[in-house]
Amino acid sequence: MDLLFFFFLSSGLFLGWSLGANDAANIFGTAVGSKMLKFKTAAATSCLFIVIGAVFAGGGTSATLNSLGSVNAIAGAFMVALSAALTVYWMVSSGLLVSTSQAIVGGIIGWNLYSGYDTDIHTLYTIVSSWVLCPLLSGFIAIIVYVLIKNILHFSHLHLLRQDSYLRIGLWLLAAFGGYALGANNIANVMGVFVESSPFKNIYLNGYYISNTQILFFLGAIAICVGIFTYSYKAIKTVGNNLMSMTPTIAWIIVFSQSLVLFAFSSQGLQASLKDLGLPSIPLVPVSSSQAVIGAIIGIGIAKGGRNISWNTITKIIIGWIATPLISAAICFISLFFLENVFQQKVYM
Amino acid sequence: MFGIKISLFAGAKTLETKIDSFHDNVIDAAMTFNKSIATYLQEGRSEDFKKTNKQLRQIEHDADQLRRDIENRLYVQNLIPDLRADVLELVENLDKVINRFDEVSYQFYIERPEIPEIYHTRIMTLVTQVTECAENLSIASRSFFRNFSLVRDYSQKVYFLEHESDLSSGHLKESIFDSDMPLANKLQLSTLFDEIENIADLAEDCVDELLIFTIKRDI
Repeated sequence: MDLLFFFFLSSGLFLGWSLGANDAANIFGTAVGSKMLKFKTAAATSCLFIVIGAVFAGGGTSATLNSLGSVNAIAGAFMVALSAALTVYWMVSSGLLVSTSQAIVGGIIGWNLYSGYDTDIHTLYTIVSSWVLCPLLSGFIAIIVYVLIKNILHFSHLHLLRQDSYLRIGLWLLAAFGGYALGANNIANVMGVFVESSPFKNIYLNGYYISNTQILFFLGAIAICVGIFTYSYKAIKTVGNNLMSMTPTIAWIIVFSQSLVLFAFSSQGLQASLKDLGLPSIPLVPVSSSQAVIGAIIGIGIAKGGRNISWNTITKIIIGWIATPLISAAICFISLFFLENVFQQKVYM
Repeated sequence: MFGIKISLFAGAKTLETKIDSFHDNVIDAAMTFNKSIATYLQEGRSEDFKKTNKQLRQIEHDADQLRRDIENRLYVQNLIPDLRADVLELVENLDKVINRFDEVSYQFYIERPEIPEIYHTRIMTLVTQVTECAENLSIASRSFFRNFSLVRDYSQKVYFLEHESDLSSGHLKESIFDSDMPLANKLQLSTLFDEIENIADLAEDCVDELLIFTIKRDI
Protein backbone atom coordinates (compact mmCIF):
# COMPACT_ATOMS: atom_id res chain seq x y z
CA MET A 1 0.00 0.00 0.00
CA ASP A 2 1.26 3.41 -0.95
CA LEU A 3 2.51 5.37 2.06
CA LEU A 4 1.39 8.50 0.27
CA PHE A 5 -2.17 7.32 0.85
CA PHE A 6 -1.73 7.79 4.60
CA PHE A 7 -0.35 11.26 4.00
CA PHE A 8 -3.44 12.14 1.97
CA LEU A 9 -5.69 10.45 4.52
CA SER A 10 -4.26 12.76 7.21
CA SER A 11 -6.72 15.57 6.41
CA GLY A 12 -9.63 13.19 7.04
CA LEU A 13 -7.99 11.90 10.20
CA PHE A 14 -7.53 15.49 11.35
CA LEU A 15 -11.24 16.13 10.75
CA GLY A 16 -11.94 12.99 12.81
CA TRP A 17 -9.70 14.22 15.62
CA SER A 18 -11.44 17.59 15.57
CA LEU A 19 -14.85 15.89 15.68
CA GLY A 20 -13.78 13.81 18.69
CA ALA A 21 -12.25 16.79 20.44
CA ASN A 22 -15.25 19.09 20.05
CA ASP A 23 -18.47 17.26 19.20
CA ALA A 24 -17.95 14.39 21.64
CA ALA A 25 -18.04 16.98 24.46
CA ASN A 26 -21.71 17.44 23.56
CA ILE A 27 -22.44 13.79 24.32
CA PHE A 28 -20.95 13.46 27.77
CA GLY A 29 -19.68 16.95 28.62
CA THR A 30 -22.34 17.73 31.20
CA ALA A 31 -22.14 14.27 32.76
CA VAL A 32 -18.38 14.65 33.22
CA GLY A 33 -18.48 18.36 34.03
CA SER A 34 -21.05 17.81 36.77
CA LYS A 35 -19.12 14.75 38.02
CA MET A 36 -22.07 12.43 37.41
CA LEU A 37 -19.75 10.23 35.33
CA LYS A 38 -15.99 9.79 35.35
CA PHE A 39 -14.31 11.03 32.18
CA LYS A 40 -12.61 7.69 31.49
CA THR A 41 -15.88 5.75 31.85
CA ALA A 42 -17.82 8.15 29.62
CA ALA A 43 -15.04 8.47 27.04
CA ALA A 44 -14.33 4.72 26.84
CA THR A 45 -18.04 3.93 26.45
CA SER A 46 -18.53 6.59 23.78
CA CYS A 47 -15.40 5.51 21.90
CA LEU A 48 -16.48 1.87 21.81
CA PHE A 49 -19.86 2.81 20.39
CA ILE A 50 -18.45 5.41 18.00
CA VAL A 51 -16.35 2.63 16.47
CA ILE A 52 -19.37 0.28 16.34
CA GLY A 53 -21.61 2.99 14.87
CA ALA A 54 -19.02 4.08 12.31
CA VAL A 55 -18.00 0.60 11.16
CA PHE A 56 -21.44 -1.05 11.13
CA ALA A 57 -23.84 1.81 10.41
CA GLY A 58 -21.80 4.53 8.72
CA GLY A 59 -22.44 3.29 5.17
CA GLY A 60 -25.77 5.05 4.60
CA THR A 61 -24.68 8.64 5.08
CA SER A 62 -21.45 7.98 3.25
CA ALA A 63 -23.36 6.67 0.22
CA THR A 64 -25.40 9.90 0.16
CA LEU A 65 -22.23 12.02 0.14
CA ASN A 66 -20.82 9.86 -2.65
CA SER A 67 -23.95 10.30 -4.71
CA LEU A 68 -23.45 14.06 -4.37
CA GLY A 69 -19.96 13.76 -5.78
CA SER A 70 -17.80 10.69 -6.08
CA VAL A 71 -14.32 11.97 -5.29
CA ASN A 72 -12.30 9.39 -7.20
CA ALA A 73 -8.67 10.50 -6.66
CA ILE A 74 -6.95 10.37 -3.31
CA ALA A 75 -5.32 13.80 -3.73
CA GLY A 76 -8.73 15.26 -4.52
CA ALA A 77 -10.24 13.61 -1.44
CA PHE A 78 -7.37 14.99 0.63
CA MET A 79 -8.12 18.50 -0.57
CA VAL A 80 -11.89 18.16 -0.01
CA ALA A 81 -11.29 17.09 3.61
CA LEU A 82 -8.60 19.75 4.11
CA SER A 83 -10.87 22.50 2.74
CA ALA A 84 -13.58 21.39 5.12
CA ALA A 85 -11.12 21.38 8.05
CA LEU A 86 -9.79 24.86 7.17
CA THR A 87 -13.33 26.22 6.80
CA VAL A 88 -14.36 24.79 10.14
CA TYR A 89 -11.23 26.18 11.79
CA TRP A 90 -11.69 29.64 10.28
CA MET A 91 -15.40 29.84 11.09
CA VAL A 92 -14.92 28.59 14.66
CA SER A 93 -12.22 31.23 15.17
CA SER A 94 -14.66 33.85 13.85
CA GLY A 95 -17.28 32.79 16.37
CA LEU A 96 -19.69 31.49 13.74
CA LEU A 97 -21.75 28.35 14.13
CA VAL A 98 -20.21 25.80 11.86
CA SER A 99 -20.79 22.21 10.95
CA THR A 100 -18.31 19.74 9.51
CA SER A 101 -21.19 18.23 7.52
CA GLN A 102 -21.81 21.50 5.70
CA ALA A 103 -18.12 22.10 5.15
CA ILE A 104 -17.55 18.66 3.61
CA VAL A 105 -20.56 19.09 1.30
CA GLY A 106 -19.11 22.43 0.18
CA GLY A 107 -15.76 20.74 -0.42
CA ILE A 108 -17.38 18.03 -2.56
CA ILE A 109 -19.23 20.64 -4.63
CA GLY A 110 -15.93 22.51 -5.07
CA TRP A 111 -14.36 19.29 -6.32
CA ASN A 112 -17.33 18.67 -8.67
CA LEU A 113 -16.96 22.16 -10.09
CA TYR A 114 -13.20 21.80 -10.58
CA SER A 115 -13.32 18.31 -12.07
CA GLY A 116 -16.30 19.07 -14.28
CA TYR A 117 -18.50 16.37 -12.78
CA ASP A 118 -22.18 17.16 -12.35
CA THR A 119 -23.54 17.82 -8.89
CA ASP A 120 -26.65 15.73 -8.29
CA ILE A 121 -29.21 18.43 -7.58
CA HIS A 122 -31.70 15.97 -6.09
CA THR A 123 -29.10 14.75 -3.56
CA LEU A 124 -28.05 18.32 -2.82
CA TYR A 125 -31.67 19.23 -2.19
CA THR A 126 -32.07 16.22 0.13
CA ILE A 127 -28.92 17.18 2.06
CA VAL A 128 -29.81 20.85 2.43
CA SER A 129 -33.37 20.10 3.51
CA SER A 130 -31.95 17.68 6.11
CA TRP A 131 -29.86 20.50 7.59
CA VAL A 132 -33.04 22.52 8.08
CA LEU A 133 -34.98 19.51 9.31
CA CYS A 134 -32.28 18.44 11.78
CA PRO A 135 -32.63 21.25 14.39
CA LEU A 136 -36.41 21.34 13.91
CA LEU A 137 -36.75 17.61 14.50
CA SER A 138 -34.37 17.78 17.45
CA GLY A 139 -36.40 20.62 18.98
CA PHE A 140 -39.64 18.70 18.47
CA ILE A 141 -38.23 15.55 20.08
CA ALA A 142 -36.83 17.61 22.97
CA ILE A 143 -40.28 19.11 23.66
CA ILE A 144 -41.91 15.66 23.75
CA VAL A 145 -39.18 14.10 25.92
CA TYR A 146 -39.14 17.11 28.25
CA VAL A 147 -42.91 16.95 28.84
CA LEU A 148 -42.73 13.18 29.26
CA ILE A 149 -39.89 13.26 31.80
CA LYS A 150 -41.41 16.17 33.70
CA ASN A 151 -44.62 14.20 34.10
CA ILE A 152 -42.82 11.00 35.04
CA LEU A 153 -40.86 12.85 37.74
CA HIS A 154 -44.02 14.59 38.93
CA PHE A 155 -46.18 11.51 39.24
CA SER A 156 -43.63 8.85 40.19
CA HIS A 157 -42.62 10.59 43.47
CA LEU A 158 -39.16 9.11 43.07
CA HIS A 159 -36.77 10.11 45.80
CA LEU A 160 -34.21 12.69 44.68
CA LEU A 161 -31.40 10.23 45.33
CA ARG A 162 -33.13 7.48 43.36
CA GLN A 163 -33.56 9.92 40.49
CA ASP A 164 -29.85 10.64 40.73
CA SER A 165 -29.05 6.93 40.39
CA TYR A 166 -31.33 6.51 37.39
CA LEU A 167 -29.88 9.64 35.83
CA ARG A 168 -26.34 8.29 36.15
CA ILE A 169 -27.34 5.08 34.42
CA GLY A 170 -29.19 7.17 31.82
CA LEU A 171 -26.14 9.33 31.19
CA TRP A 172 -23.97 6.26 30.84
CA LEU A 173 -26.38 4.66 28.37
CA LEU A 174 -26.56 7.96 26.52
CA ALA A 175 -22.77 8.09 26.25
CA ALA A 176 -23.13 4.76 24.42
CA PHE A 177 -26.15 5.72 22.26
CA GLY A 178 -24.79 9.21 21.56
CA GLY A 179 -21.45 7.69 20.58
CA TYR A 180 -23.13 5.17 18.28
CA ALA A 181 -25.25 7.86 16.61
CA LEU A 182 -22.28 10.22 16.21
CA GLY A 183 -20.14 7.45 14.73
CA ALA A 184 -22.89 6.28 12.36
CA ASN A 185 -23.88 9.74 11.18
CA ASN A 186 -20.66 11.74 11.17
CA ILE A 187 -18.11 9.18 9.98
CA ALA A 188 -19.15 10.14 6.44
CA ASN A 189 -17.80 13.64 7.10
CA VAL A 190 -14.47 12.23 8.18
CA MET A 191 -13.94 9.37 5.76
CA GLY A 192 -16.76 9.56 3.21
CA VAL A 193 -14.71 11.32 0.53
CA PHE A 194 -11.96 8.70 0.72
CA VAL A 195 -14.25 5.74 0.00
CA GLU A 196 -13.84 5.83 -3.79
CA SER A 197 -10.04 6.08 -3.63
CA SER A 198 -9.49 3.67 -0.74
CA PRO A 199 -6.66 1.23 -1.44
CA PHE A 200 -7.85 -1.25 1.22
CA LYS A 201 -9.05 -4.69 0.23
CA ASN A 202 -12.09 -6.51 1.52
CA ILE A 203 -11.22 -9.07 4.18
CA TYR A 204 -12.83 -12.43 4.89
CA LEU A 205 -11.92 -13.57 8.38
CA ASN A 206 -13.29 -16.83 9.83
CA GLY A 207 -16.52 -16.39 7.92
CA TYR A 208 -16.77 -12.68 8.75
CA TYR A 209 -16.68 -10.14 5.97
CA ILE A 210 -15.06 -6.76 6.52
CA SER A 211 -15.33 -4.36 3.60
CA ASN A 212 -12.62 -1.93 2.60
CA THR A 213 -14.99 0.91 3.50
CA GLN A 214 -15.39 -0.50 7.00
CA ILE A 215 -11.60 -0.56 7.43
CA LEU A 216 -11.49 3.08 6.35
CA PHE A 217 -14.30 3.97 8.74
CA PHE A 218 -12.53 2.10 11.51
CA LEU A 219 -9.47 4.33 11.01
CA GLY A 220 -11.71 7.41 11.06
CA ALA A 221 -13.41 6.23 14.23
CA ILE A 222 -10.01 5.70 15.86
CA ALA A 223 -9.12 9.30 14.93
CA ILE A 224 -12.34 10.46 16.61
CA CYS A 225 -11.44 8.41 19.71
CA VAL A 226 -7.95 9.93 19.77
CA GLY A 227 -9.63 13.36 19.65
CA ILE A 228 -11.82 12.40 22.59
CA PHE A 229 -8.97 11.14 24.74
CA THR A 230 -6.45 13.82 23.84
CA TYR A 231 -8.54 16.96 23.80
CA SER A 232 -12.22 16.61 24.75
CA TYR A 233 -11.52 16.63 28.51
CA LYS A 234 -9.73 19.93 28.08
CA ALA A 235 -12.64 21.19 25.98
CA ILE A 236 -15.08 20.19 28.74
CA LYS A 237 -13.01 21.71 31.53
CA THR A 238 -11.85 24.91 29.92
CA VAL A 239 -14.00 25.86 26.96
CA GLY A 240 -17.31 24.42 28.11
CA ASN A 241 -20.35 24.52 25.86
CA ASN A 242 -24.01 25.46 25.79
CA LEU A 243 -24.91 22.49 27.93
CA MET A 244 -22.54 23.21 30.79
CA SER A 245 -24.84 25.57 32.62
CA MET A 246 -27.76 23.15 32.52
CA THR A 247 -28.88 20.56 35.01
CA PRO A 248 -27.87 16.99 34.16
CA THR A 249 -31.53 16.05 33.53
CA ILE A 250 -32.04 18.82 30.97
CA ALA A 251 -28.66 18.03 29.42
CA TRP A 252 -29.74 14.39 29.17
CA ILE A 253 -32.91 15.38 27.30
CA ILE A 254 -30.94 17.60 24.92
CA VAL A 255 -28.26 15.01 24.20
CA PHE A 256 -30.88 12.28 23.83
CA SER A 257 -32.81 14.38 21.29
CA GLN A 258 -29.61 15.18 19.42
CA SER A 259 -28.54 11.52 19.40
CA LEU A 260 -31.98 10.35 18.26
CA VAL A 261 -31.86 12.82 15.37
CA LEU A 262 -28.36 11.72 14.37
CA PHE A 263 -29.51 8.11 14.62
CA ALA A 264 -32.64 8.81 12.53
CA PHE A 265 -30.52 10.44 9.80
CA SER A 266 -28.18 7.45 9.64
CA SER A 267 -30.28 4.36 10.32
CA GLN A 268 -30.89 2.26 7.23
CA GLY A 269 -33.18 0.02 9.32
CA LEU A 270 -35.38 2.95 10.34
CA GLN A 271 -35.47 4.20 6.77
CA ALA A 272 -36.61 0.78 5.52
CA SER A 273 -39.22 0.47 8.31
CA LEU A 274 -40.70 3.88 7.52
CA LYS A 275 -40.86 2.96 3.82
CA ASP A 276 -42.59 -0.34 4.68
CA LEU A 277 -45.16 1.56 6.70
CA GLY A 278 -45.77 3.90 3.79
CA LEU A 279 -44.44 6.86 5.78
CA PRO A 280 -42.05 9.48 4.40
CA SER A 281 -38.56 8.16 5.06
CA ILE A 282 -35.75 10.12 6.63
CA PRO A 283 -32.79 10.56 4.28
CA LEU A 284 -29.39 9.22 5.31
CA VAL A 285 -27.43 12.43 5.54
CA PRO A 286 -24.60 13.55 7.82
CA VAL A 287 -26.08 16.37 9.92
CA SER A 288 -24.64 18.78 12.44
CA SER A 289 -24.69 17.52 16.03
CA SER A 290 -24.16 21.08 17.35
CA GLN A 291 -27.17 22.38 15.42
CA ALA A 292 -29.25 19.46 16.69
CA VAL A 293 -28.20 20.51 20.22
CA ILE A 294 -29.25 24.11 19.56
CA GLY A 295 -32.59 22.89 18.18
CA ALA A 296 -33.17 20.86 21.33
CA ILE A 297 -32.22 23.79 23.61
CA ILE A 298 -34.73 26.03 21.79
CA GLY A 299 -37.32 23.23 22.01
CA ILE A 300 -36.94 22.98 25.77
CA GLY A 301 -37.12 26.76 26.04
CA ILE A 302 -40.47 26.64 24.21
CA ALA A 303 -41.70 23.74 26.38
CA LYS A 304 -40.86 25.78 29.48
CA GLY A 305 -43.05 28.56 28.13
CA GLY A 306 -40.15 30.86 27.25
CA ARG A 307 -40.88 33.35 24.54
CA ASN A 308 -37.32 34.54 24.19
CA ILE A 309 -36.12 32.55 21.21
CA SER A 310 -32.59 33.60 20.39
CA TRP A 311 -32.99 34.95 16.88
CA ASN A 312 -29.31 35.77 16.94
CA THR A 313 -28.44 32.08 17.26
CA ILE A 314 -30.96 31.12 14.58
CA THR A 315 -29.50 33.74 12.24
CA LYS A 316 -26.02 32.34 12.92
CA ILE A 317 -27.25 28.85 12.01
CA ILE A 318 -28.79 30.08 8.74
CA ILE A 319 -25.61 32.00 7.88
CA GLY A 320 -23.73 28.77 8.61
CA TRP A 321 -25.95 26.80 6.20
CA ILE A 322 -25.11 29.20 3.37
CA ALA A 323 -21.63 30.48 4.19
CA THR A 324 -19.96 27.22 5.25
CA PRO A 325 -20.48 25.27 1.99
CA LEU A 326 -19.71 28.35 -0.12
CA ILE A 327 -16.41 29.06 1.66
CA SER A 328 -15.43 25.41 1.70
CA ALA A 329 -16.26 25.03 -2.02
CA ALA A 330 -14.20 28.12 -2.86
CA ILE A 331 -11.20 26.96 -0.81
CA CYS A 332 -11.42 23.50 -2.35
CA PHE A 333 -11.68 24.81 -5.93
CA ILE A 334 -8.68 27.10 -5.58
CA SER A 335 -6.59 24.54 -3.67
CA LEU A 336 -7.31 21.82 -6.22
CA PHE A 337 -5.94 24.10 -8.91
CA PHE A 338 -2.66 24.49 -6.98
CA LEU A 339 -2.49 20.83 -6.05
CA GLU A 340 -2.89 19.81 -9.67
CA ASN A 341 -0.76 22.45 -11.35
CA VAL A 342 1.91 23.23 -8.78
CA PHE A 343 2.28 19.90 -6.97
CA GLN A 344 1.44 17.84 -10.06
CA GLN A 345 -1.09 15.63 -8.29
CA LYS A 346 -3.97 13.90 -10.00
CA VAL A 347 -7.02 15.31 -8.24
CA TYR A 348 -9.67 13.54 -10.34
CA MET A 349 -9.88 10.62 -12.73
CA MET B 1 -23.20 -2.91 34.63
CA PHE B 2 -25.22 -4.94 37.12
CA GLY B 3 -22.58 -4.30 39.78
CA ILE B 4 -22.63 -0.56 39.11
CA LYS B 5 -26.44 -0.53 39.33
CA ILE B 6 -26.56 -2.43 42.61
CA SER B 7 -23.90 -0.26 44.28
CA LEU B 8 -25.55 2.95 43.02
CA PHE B 9 -28.95 1.97 44.36
CA ALA B 10 -27.59 0.58 47.64
CA GLY B 11 -25.75 3.84 48.40
CA ALA B 12 -28.80 5.91 47.51
CA LYS B 13 -31.14 3.70 49.54
CA THR B 14 -29.01 3.98 52.71
CA LEU B 15 -28.86 7.74 52.37
CA GLU B 16 -32.60 7.95 51.68
CA THR B 17 -33.21 6.18 55.00
CA LYS B 18 -30.86 8.53 56.82
CA ILE B 19 -32.50 11.63 55.36
CA ASP B 20 -35.90 10.25 56.36
CA SER B 21 -34.64 9.60 59.89
CA PHE B 22 -33.28 13.13 60.05
CA HIS B 23 -36.70 14.53 59.19
CA ASP B 24 -38.23 12.25 61.83
CA ASN B 25 -35.84 13.83 64.30
CA VAL B 26 -37.15 17.33 63.51
CA ILE B 27 -40.71 16.19 64.28
CA ASP B 28 -39.58 14.30 67.39
CA ALA B 29 -37.72 17.38 68.62
CA ALA B 30 -40.77 19.59 68.06
CA MET B 31 -43.13 17.24 69.88
CA THR B 32 -40.71 16.62 72.73
CA PHE B 33 -40.21 20.37 73.11
CA ASN B 34 -43.99 20.81 73.32
CA LYS B 35 -44.15 18.10 75.96
CA SER B 36 -41.19 19.57 77.82
CA ILE B 37 -42.72 23.08 78.14
CA ALA B 38 -46.15 21.62 79.06
CA THR B 39 -44.47 19.55 81.80
CA TYR B 40 -42.56 22.57 83.09
CA LEU B 41 -45.71 24.69 83.25
CA GLN B 42 -47.54 21.94 85.17
CA GLU B 43 -44.78 20.59 87.39
CA GLY B 44 -41.87 23.04 87.27
CA ARG B 45 -38.40 21.50 87.16
CA SER B 46 -39.67 18.02 87.99
CA GLU B 47 -38.13 14.64 87.23
CA ASP B 48 -40.44 14.32 84.22
CA PHE B 49 -39.26 17.69 82.92
CA LYS B 50 -35.63 16.61 83.38
CA LYS B 51 -36.44 13.40 81.51
CA THR B 52 -37.97 15.19 78.51
CA ASN B 53 -35.02 17.59 78.51
CA LYS B 54 -32.69 14.61 78.36
CA GLN B 55 -34.76 13.11 75.53
CA LEU B 56 -34.48 16.37 73.63
CA ARG B 57 -30.71 16.39 74.13
CA GLN B 58 -30.52 12.84 72.81
CA ILE B 59 -32.60 13.77 69.73
CA GLU B 60 -30.30 16.73 69.11
CA HIS B 61 -27.24 14.50 69.47
CA ASP B 62 -28.67 11.86 67.09
CA ALA B 63 -29.58 14.56 64.59
CA ASP B 64 -26.02 15.91 64.68
CA GLN B 65 -24.64 12.46 63.96
CA LEU B 66 -27.12 11.92 61.13
CA ARG B 67 -26.29 15.32 59.66
CA ARG B 68 -22.57 14.54 59.62
CA ASP B 69 -23.23 11.14 58.12
CA ILE B 70 -25.50 12.57 55.39
CA GLU B 71 -22.95 15.27 54.52
CA ASN B 72 -20.15 12.74 54.46
CA ARG B 73 -22.01 10.26 52.26
CA LEU B 74 -23.15 12.93 49.84
CA TYR B 75 -19.53 13.89 49.23
CA VAL B 76 -17.86 10.49 49.46
CA GLN B 77 -20.39 8.82 47.16
CA ASN B 78 -20.52 11.93 44.97
CA LEU B 79 -24.32 11.92 44.93
CA ILE B 80 -26.62 14.57 43.39
CA PRO B 81 -23.66 16.80 42.45
CA ASP B 82 -25.86 19.57 41.05
CA LEU B 83 -28.08 19.81 44.15
CA ARG B 84 -25.64 18.66 46.79
CA ALA B 85 -24.88 22.13 48.11
CA ASP B 86 -28.61 22.85 48.45
CA VAL B 87 -29.27 19.61 50.28
CA LEU B 88 -26.37 20.26 52.65
CA GLU B 89 -27.70 23.75 53.35
CA LEU B 90 -31.17 22.36 53.97
CA VAL B 91 -29.92 19.73 56.40
CA GLU B 92 -27.82 22.32 58.24
CA ASN B 93 -30.86 24.60 58.55
CA LEU B 94 -33.08 21.82 59.88
CA ASP B 95 -30.37 20.93 62.36
CA LYS B 96 -30.34 24.52 63.62
CA VAL B 97 -34.09 24.24 64.34
CA ILE B 98 -33.52 21.04 66.34
CA ASN B 99 -30.68 22.73 68.23
CA ARG B 100 -32.91 25.67 69.09
CA PHE B 101 -35.59 23.39 70.57
CA ASP B 102 -32.96 21.83 72.79
CA GLU B 103 -31.42 25.18 73.78
CA VAL B 104 -34.75 26.85 74.67
CA SER B 105 -35.91 23.86 76.72
CA TYR B 106 -32.55 23.88 78.52
CA GLN B 107 -32.95 27.61 79.14
CA PHE B 108 -36.18 26.83 81.03
CA TYR B 109 -34.23 24.19 83.00
CA ILE B 110 -31.43 26.63 83.91
CA GLU B 111 -33.41 29.82 84.49
CA ARG B 112 -36.47 28.19 86.19
CA PRO B 113 -38.74 31.13 85.29
CA GLU B 114 -41.77 31.78 87.49
CA ILE B 115 -44.80 31.84 85.24
CA PRO B 116 -48.24 32.77 86.68
CA GLU B 117 -50.92 30.22 85.78
CA ILE B 118 -53.05 32.74 83.89
CA TYR B 119 -50.43 32.74 81.11
CA HIS B 120 -50.08 28.96 80.79
CA THR B 121 -52.73 28.41 78.10
CA ARG B 122 -51.44 31.25 75.97
CA ILE B 123 -47.86 30.10 76.33
CA MET B 124 -48.93 26.61 75.24
CA THR B 125 -50.70 28.17 72.23
CA LEU B 126 -47.43 29.90 71.28
CA VAL B 127 -45.44 26.69 71.82
CA THR B 128 -47.92 24.66 69.75
CA GLN B 129 -47.77 27.20 66.91
CA VAL B 130 -43.97 27.04 66.94
CA THR B 131 -43.82 23.24 67.07
CA GLU B 132 -46.41 22.91 64.29
CA CYS B 133 -44.37 25.38 62.30
CA ALA B 134 -41.30 23.12 62.64
CA GLU B 135 -43.36 20.01 61.85
CA ASN B 136 -44.64 21.60 58.64
CA LEU B 137 -41.10 22.64 57.78
CA SER B 138 -40.03 19.04 58.16
CA ILE B 139 -42.87 17.82 55.91
CA ALA B 140 -42.06 20.52 53.33
CA SER B 141 -38.43 19.49 53.39
CA ARG B 142 -39.30 15.79 53.06
CA SER B 143 -41.52 16.67 50.10
CA PHE B 144 -38.52 18.38 48.48
CA PHE B 145 -36.95 14.93 48.16
CA ARG B 146 -40.00 12.95 47.04
CA ASN B 147 -42.83 15.15 45.79
CA PHE B 148 -41.66 18.68 45.40
CA SER B 149 -45.02 19.96 44.19
CA LEU B 150 -46.13 19.77 47.84
CA VAL B 151 -43.32 21.99 49.15
CA ARG B 152 -45.28 25.13 48.39
CA ASP B 153 -48.38 23.91 50.27
CA TYR B 154 -46.49 23.12 53.46
CA SER B 155 -44.37 26.25 53.16
CA GLN B 156 -47.56 28.27 53.17
CA LYS B 157 -48.54 26.63 56.46
CA VAL B 158 -45.13 27.54 57.90
CA TYR B 159 -45.60 31.18 56.88
CA PHE B 160 -49.07 31.26 58.42
CA LEU B 161 -47.97 29.68 61.70
CA GLU B 162 -44.93 31.92 61.95
CA HIS B 163 -47.17 34.95 61.61
CA GLU B 164 -49.55 33.56 64.23
CA SER B 165 -46.65 32.92 66.62
CA ASP B 166 -45.50 36.53 66.14
CA LEU B 167 -48.93 37.73 67.18
CA SER B 168 -49.17 35.32 70.14
CA SER B 169 -45.73 36.28 71.39
CA GLY B 170 -46.53 40.00 71.04
CA HIS B 171 -49.83 39.68 72.95
CA LEU B 172 -48.15 37.65 75.69
CA LYS B 173 -45.43 40.25 76.14
CA GLU B 174 -48.01 43.02 76.26
CA SER B 175 -49.99 41.30 79.02
CA ILE B 176 -46.86 40.52 81.00
CA PHE B 177 -45.63 44.10 80.90
CA ASP B 178 -49.17 45.25 81.86
CA SER B 179 -49.05 43.00 84.95
CA ASP B 180 -47.67 43.71 88.45
CA MET B 181 -44.78 41.29 88.13
CA PRO B 182 -41.30 42.56 89.05
CA LEU B 183 -39.49 44.01 86.05
CA ALA B 184 -36.78 41.34 86.25
CA ASN B 185 -39.43 38.61 85.81
CA LYS B 186 -41.08 40.53 82.99
CA LEU B 187 -37.76 40.83 81.13
CA GLN B 188 -36.90 37.20 81.74
CA LEU B 189 -40.26 35.99 80.38
CA SER B 190 -40.13 38.41 77.48
CA THR B 191 -36.72 37.02 76.48
CA LEU B 192 -38.00 33.45 76.76
CA PHE B 193 -41.02 34.22 74.57
CA ASP B 194 -38.69 35.77 72.04
CA GLU B 195 -36.54 32.64 72.15
CA ILE B 196 -39.59 30.43 71.52
CA GLU B 197 -40.91 32.63 68.76
CA ASN B 198 -37.46 32.79 67.13
CA ILE B 199 -37.72 29.07 66.39
CA ALA B 200 -40.67 29.85 64.09
CA ASP B 201 -38.61 32.65 62.50
CA LEU B 202 -35.81 30.17 61.90
CA ALA B 203 -38.31 27.75 60.30
CA GLU B 204 -39.53 30.56 58.08
CA ASP B 205 -35.96 31.32 56.94
CA CYS B 206 -35.48 27.63 56.16
CA VAL B 207 -38.65 27.58 54.07
CA ASP B 208 -37.55 30.69 52.15
CA GLU B 209 -34.40 28.88 51.09
CA LEU B 210 -36.26 25.63 50.53
CA LEU B 211 -38.53 27.31 48.01
CA ILE B 212 -35.51 28.57 46.08
CA PHE B 213 -33.99 25.07 46.14
CA THR B 214 -37.29 23.72 44.83
CA ILE B 215 -37.28 26.09 41.86
CA LYS B 216 -33.74 24.93 41.09
CA ARG B 217 -34.77 21.27 41.44
CA ASP B 218 -37.64 21.57 38.97
CA ILE B 219 -36.61 20.68 35.43
